[in-house]
Amino acid sequence: MSTLTRPNVGRKTPRVFYFMVLPALVIFAVFHTVPLLSGIYFSFTNYAGYGEWSFVGLSNYINLFRDDRILNAYGFTFLFAIVSTVAVNVISLAVAIALNGRIKFKTGFRGIFFIPNILSILIVGYVFNYLFSNSVPAIAQALGINALTTSILADADTAWIGVVILSVWQAAAFNIIIYLAGLQTIGGELYEAASLDGASSWRQFRSITFPLIGAFFTINMVLSLKNFLQVFDQIVSLTAGGPGTSTESISLLIYRGGFEGGEYGYQTANAVIYLIVIIAISFVQLRILQRREASF
Amino acid sequence: MFKQPRSSRAKLFATAAATALMLSACAPSDTDVVTLDFFQFKPEAVGSFDKIISEFEAQNPGINVVQNHVPNADTAIRTLLVKNKTPDVLTLNTNGNYGRLAEAGVFADLSDHPAVDTVLPAVKDIVQELGTRTPSEINALPFSSNASGILYNKDIFAKYDVDPPRTWDELIEAAETFKANGVTPFYTTLKDAWTVGPAFVNLGGALQPEGFFADLLSKEGDASFSKDYPEAAEKLKTLFSYGQPDAPSKDYNAGNAAFGAGEAAMYLQGSYAIPAIRAANPDANIGSFPYPASNDPAETVVVSGVDVGISIGRDTEHPEEARKFTEFLLSQEVVEAYAKEQSAFSPLKASPPSEDPALEGLAPYFTEGRLIGFIDHQIPSSLPLAPLLQEFVLGGSTEDLLASLDNEWNKIAARTISNEKDKP
Repeated sequence: MSTLTRPNVGRKTPRVFYFMVLPALVIFAVFHTVPLLSGIYFSFTNYAGYGEWSFVGLSNYINLFRDDRILNAYGFTFLFAIVSTVAVNVISLAVAIALNGRIKFKTGFRGIFFIPNILSILIVGYVFNYLFSNSVPAIAQALGINALTTSILADADTAWIGVVILSVWQAAAFNIIIYLAGLQTIGGELYEAASLDGASSWRQFRSITFPLIGAFFTINMVLSLKNFLQVFDQIVSLTAGGPGTSTESISLLIYRGGFEGGEYGYQTANAVIYLIVIIAISFVQLRILQRREASF
Repeated sequence: MFKQPRSSRAKLFATAAATALMLSACAPSDTDVVTLDFFQFKPEAVGSFDKIISEFEAQNPGINVVQNHVPNADTAIRTLLVKNKTPDVLTLNTNGNYGRLAEAGVFADLSDHPAVDTVLPAVKDIVQELGTRTPSEINALPFSSNASGILYNKDIFAKYDVDPPRTWDELIEAAETFKANGVTPFYTTLKDAWTVGPAFVNLGGALQPEGFFADLLSKEGDASFSKDYPEAAEKLKTLFSYGQPDAPSKDYNAGNAAFGAGEAAMYLQGSYAIPAIRAANPDANIGSFPYPASNDPAETVVVSGVDVGISIGRDTEHPEEARKFTEFLLSQEVVEAYAKEQSAFSPLKASPPSEDPALEGLAPYFTEGRLIGFIDHQIPSSLPLAPLLQEFVLGGSTEDLLASLDNEWNKIAARTISNEKDKP
């Protein structure tokens, strides 16, 4: 076989592959890279979104660090993202293990648990908004639970919990699927051998299941933290950043200040900083988590 | 195989050519017909303006007016400006955005327009305060006004024998009477942060020292929210303390429906809420009175905004026809017919007070010119006024609110760098 192949063919990539990549590259550049670069460009100006503008150097960036509204938004966003990431991974891993076990209607359940992922966050958000504002207080009143008779979204100290509940409910679906895929890569003979040695199910989980799905755990942690740091739709539909500014996330602040507040240049600078922060966090997270994955 | 696309392409060319021919046939043949591009921002008023336009065209056969209405006017006008396509005649909501456009020199000077002398001076001042290209210019003329006050349920007031209050003490006394009888004094809707705004605008506008915002902007003197706004903030909090217990989970729509259904005696919203309340309950017996911000009825004023202002594009190619059309728009019959149709106020000196029973409590202030503008039009839109007010009435302290307002104002002032041409 090898004698029939001409030596050059293996080394030189046929031109057709480049043509295949080209459309995607052009679309990506036009709709992603160009806007990104123009955004970075405007972060050095006082552009209001319309009209005339001039260069202001680094002053947008300097003012960002003096703005306590932005620091508060960072505080809320990180609190929300960390709590939600932990909660969503614990819950979806537990559900995935249950769905991987020998239960009846397994496929049916898997389908049901995936439904939240295909629903639009905004629609689910408005449904949850109604539940939190009307249904939960009504039920609490009937049961005599005083703490829940007012909507949790109406209190600046508890509104973020409502956002976490919605986000975790919605995001768990996708994480369950990834964990399920991971669990199916583990062969049954490992558990068989472990149970012959008398290992408890907790021991089996700790020593077999969890190390072997390490790569899936990493990707779920990185993706969910990144997604939660960019939280936007959930807040728009539940609290609109309120009460007060207690649930104002960074994305929401960028949108509000930039488009509604006429400070396009200033908030673009905020967005550039945030882009760098997210990249840095994802990178660090990957490095740390990959180190503790089991290698074969 | 290749024939099909070619023939369809040929068809396309033919259509394009025909369209071009048709366009050229109707556009420049008008050596005597002038087409005016009329930008109209108010979706509720498209029908009203269609009627006005056809009347105008009947009287002026040489002018053809095309009404151009858009869903999001503040954004749409900016995109038109970016493309250098300023409309010939415009209606705009005269708010803070209008002021910025006027300062940028988008609109023609109307200071020699005949309607300048027919509109109420107080209403004209409200428009001028928002901003003009130069201080002597007039860039928009008021076509229709709204008013913010307290709406009340006449049946509930009659049942407990309460008269519309004229002083602050009477207002609190009325609220206490309702409370003692188990009636919610004010229906408040704290889930929508902006619904706190109207009351704040009324109290602040009436109680702040003269020229407060001018002093704040010039940084001369010691004007600040902390120094000049404690009374307004305290009174705001007092009003909202008379709200119903589930206020934090109710929104504006729920409020309109509940007030229409008679669930509370009073409602802290302006004339713009009346159509929605009547939609919820056509038989709602509503009245209105201005905020009695102090104990001196002579000081009571009505907060009014110009809902529709009329401007001419600065670089219009048909200045004479545009002026003729605006003169027609601002004639007494047209303005009054429109105000009646849209339950708004006529800003003309010669107009009789509004006959709408829900507006009759506010109408005399209009005719007497006891009006002030919406103070939130003076506050930059990047200042989160509504969320701060919401936080405050939900249980924040007066000092915190006023300190936050000062802090946000100063931060925005410090980071706003004006363009070279705007520097003094």
